[in-house]
Amino acid sequence: MFKDFKSLLSLNWPYIFLIIFIFWIGEINLFSASGGSIDPWAKKQFFRFLSFLPLFFIIIFIKPRVIFNFSGLLMIFIIIGLIVTLSFGLTGMGARRWIKIGFFNLQVSEFAKIFLVLYLAKYFHNLDSKGHLEFSRSILPVLVTLIIFFLVAAQPDLGTALIILVLGSAMIFFIGIKIIYPLSFIILTILFSPLIWSFFLKEYQKNRIKIFLNPDLDPLGRGYHIIQSKIAIGSGGLRGNGFLGGSQSSLNFIPEKETDFVFSIFAEQFGFIGAVILLILYLFLILIPVINSFKINNIFIRIAVLGFSIKLLVEVVINISMTIGLLPVVGVALPLMSYGGSSLMSNMIIFALIINFMSVDKKVKYFK
Amino acid sequence: MYSNFDSNKIIKRRSFIAILLTFIFSLIISIRLFYLQIINAEKYKKKSKENRISTKITPPIRGNIYDTNKTLVAGTSSNYSFILFKYINHNYYDELLRFNKIILLSSEHDASYSKLKAFNSYSPYILIKNASWDQIVLFEKNKFLFSSIKIIESKKRYYPYKNFSQILGYLSESLDFKHFPKGAFHIEKKFNHKLKGEPGKIFNEVNSLGKIVREIHIDHPKKGYDLNLTINLLLQDFCQNQIPHKKKGSIVVMKVSDGSILSLVSKPTFNSQDFEDRNTKKINNYFSNIDNPMFNRAFSGFYPPGSVFKPLPALLGLEKNIINNDTTFFCNGHTVIDGYSKKFNCWKKRGHGKVNLKKAIKESCDVFFFELAKKIEIDDLSKLATEMGYNQEYDIGLSNMNKGLIPTRKWKKYTTGISWGRGDNLNTCIGQGYNQTSPLQLAIHYNSIINGGFYPKPKLLKNEKTIILGRKIHPDHQKILLNSLNAVVNEYGGTANKLSRTNPNYIKIAGKTGTSQVIRIKESEREDDYYKKKEILEKFKDHSIFVGFGPVYKPKYIASVVIENGGSGSSVAGPIAHEVLNFVNKLNV
Repeated sequence: MFKDFKSLLSLNWPYIFLIIFIFWIGEINLFSASGGSIDPWAKKQFFRFLSFLPLFFIIIFIKPRVIFNFSGLLMIFIIIGLIVTLSFGLTGMGARRWIKIGFFNLQVSEFAKIFLVLYLAKYFHNLDSKGHLEFSRSILPVLVTLIIFFLVAAQPDLGTALIILVLGSAMIFFIGIKIIYPLSFIILTILFSPLIWSFFLKEYQKNRIKIFLNPDLDPLGRGYHIIQSKIAIGSGGLRGNGFLGGSQSSLNFIPEKETDFVFSIFAEQFGFIGAVILLILYLFLILIPVINSFKINNIFIRIAVLGFSIKLLVEVVINISMTIGLLPVVGVALPLMSYGGSSLMSNMIIFALIINFMSVDKKVKYFK
Repeated sequence: MYSNFDSNKIIKRRSFIAILLTFIFSLIISIRLFYLQIINAEKYKKKSKENRISTKITPPIRGNIYDTNKTLVAGTSSNYSFILFKYINHNYYDELLRFNKIILLSSEHDASYSKLKAFNSYSPYILIKNASWDQIVLFEKNKFLFSSIKIIESKKRYYPYKNFSQILGYLSESLDFKHFPKGAFHIEKKFNHKLKGEPGKIFNEVNSLGKIVREIHIDHPKKGYDLNLTINLLLQDFCQNQIPHKKKGSIVVMKVSDGSILSLVSKPTFNSQDFEDRNTKKINNYFSNIDNPMFNRAFSGFYPPGSVFKPLPALLGLEKNIINNDTTFFCNGHTVIDGYSKKFNCWKKRGHGKVNLKKAIKESCDVFFFELAKKIEIDDLSKLATEMGYNQEYDIGLSNMNKGLIPTRKWKKYTTGISWGRGDNLNTCIGQGYNQTSPLQLAIHYNSIINGGFYPKPKLLKNEKTIILGRKIHPDHQKILLNSLNAVVNEYGGTANKLSRTNPNYIKIAGKTGTSQVIRIKESEREDDYYKKKEILEKFKDHSIFVGFGPVYKPKYIASVVIENGGSGSSVAGPIAHEVLNFVNKLNV
């Protein structure tokens, strides 16, 4: 089930250091978010990281073959878990998102992202297709994606649900469905968007979009987040206000600064230069696995790695875009930097899988 | 198996699209960051500075309410609470034990360790709500022992006189920090906009840790406006005590000249202070009690007025020339109408004999009004009633006002589906049937008679302008009515003649008795002595009504008294009205 101990040497160590580095930036950022104190966030997040490390290394050493075999089963577990969450889950902030397992409140939808990627990768691997993916073969993946989408959207957690939808669609696209299908879908959506606006969106959803387009409509309510976040980021200027020098963040003007708005805290302190450097670090984090996967001649691994990278990309882009007012406020965490157990755990699993897959010997035949 | 070469190629090609997208997104974000942090940096830096100023809202003091003699009937008092803040000191529980040793917590406020532990650290935990002066002094002496327990001052409304509750109403709880308590009932609700005042603001400069460095500017809160009521505290208390023990009822005392309401009493009553003290047990009882203490019978209670109503059809008869001063009818105890098998009985079985208008009002002869009723048109009566103050809501600042009803043909057809019958005319003219009037409306009706048809709109606020309503009635008609009402009390044979004889040295008044039927008891029994003594089930007893005014030749005050299930008007409500009018006349307000 496990790889040799020798394979430790072939791990992509620079990538591991990159992960630790970004996590460490996140820790410093949480430290400054609480006004220069390791309580209540930085310390707890660090202990979470430590406690997830064993799991992280176990996953790195599992043979890809085993992961491949179990992906379908895990997908079923996730769907059951989502149904359990919907019916027995803990209620918080008007949504049922968590189930309690021991001391840990588990947000199943976080893990749904991982196993959707693995499941789709396995499905496409088994298709053994030539050329473009036939339309009929894409029905099952579309169906599974939609089921998970609706289960998560019903919690309701529209942010995570949309990421799952994007993830599923992107993977179907990358496996090679004819470009005409997604293209025609996008065109149809754009054509029908006035209809969706007037018939399908509820009043509060319309309001969210309106307020996103013009935050001044509601400066103390929904627009408040965007306005305050923009002030924080903008006041950072070129070089930033310096470590612990952000008045916006330490004066609690930014709500949810430890989760959804960590980037605002960072950009206020370290300015444009810091923000761009952070962006470049994320760029490496996302692109290194994709480039590495080109060397591996195995569809499962390629698609899985690609899927994980897309997951990271979508989260980073949505989170940062919302803090700078490019997208409406939806609850999406910034990987490795936002405070929160489920998000950290699922991301560490993803990185463990990526490192695992990147380290496979390209000469070895896999799966059959 | 090796994966297919073809699809591998597609994946590779599309992966490049992913890489390209990643760069495009990064570029967009960088451009946006450039726009925010480089181009607009100054603008946001300025905004950030403005954010450094934190504002704190301070609640205003609500305006006071006074009675007509400037006695405070609703004010604001300071109130001290002991509050525990868990986050200040980790040894808060030891502190609590010390606190308990010095200032004994009553069992109600006892805070167990487990209960405290479960409590949110950042929320204030209330140990004692209304700290007594002794407790505060004890605490101040030992202040050095405590760091996480503090005394917090809060403002509270207080209502020193329970008998004003039915007029003042109460405040509703504030649900969050942004809103201050606001009036929820009666005067407190209606004049909330005047009483509430304007909140103040303190602008503080805060440092990067959120601590206040200095106060930059203070906008002091503006106290709300005070209100001066027309109600007289002494009279109000007097009236409340006049309603017999265990009886329900109401008394309205009004000034003839300007419609000022001097007293407005309803029994049973609630206590506004219980709402302010959040005494849930009592509040729940107020709303569930079958006697309905929340209900002010003086203006929300509607009863058939009985004989008190009679001056109105009399006026209609005079104005339509159906009757005049000398018109007589013969009362043999009853009357009949074609097509009705039932006889319409006068309350006096043997009859009143020959009756003119004065005698009919004085002795409350029903047959006279039956004969009159046969000749009038009901819609004319309803129109006249509206002109003389019935059928109207009076917006004097109280909640749950209502219009009442003097019926019309259309109303009956619309409500019951049955056409107006001639018998209905007869019942309406003696104040029974569909008539629904409030004690306040009865007082207004009599004021219109005294003032010659014009009457001042009733008012509760002293500085409110007097508004004149109604229309002129002929002085001769007015004279006839006033004479008749005088005769009721002051001439031998009048239904309330007993009043002038029992208390000859009291103020001389005029007025009219009324008995509002709860169920149909034989008409002959109504004002009969036999009935007065007869034990009937309390809730089936008639309502006793009296409207009177005095002094008789130059009326200054009107009193309208309704005692629910009190019996006949002359025996219960009449004496009360006489007492009240005598009292208010001595007060000379």
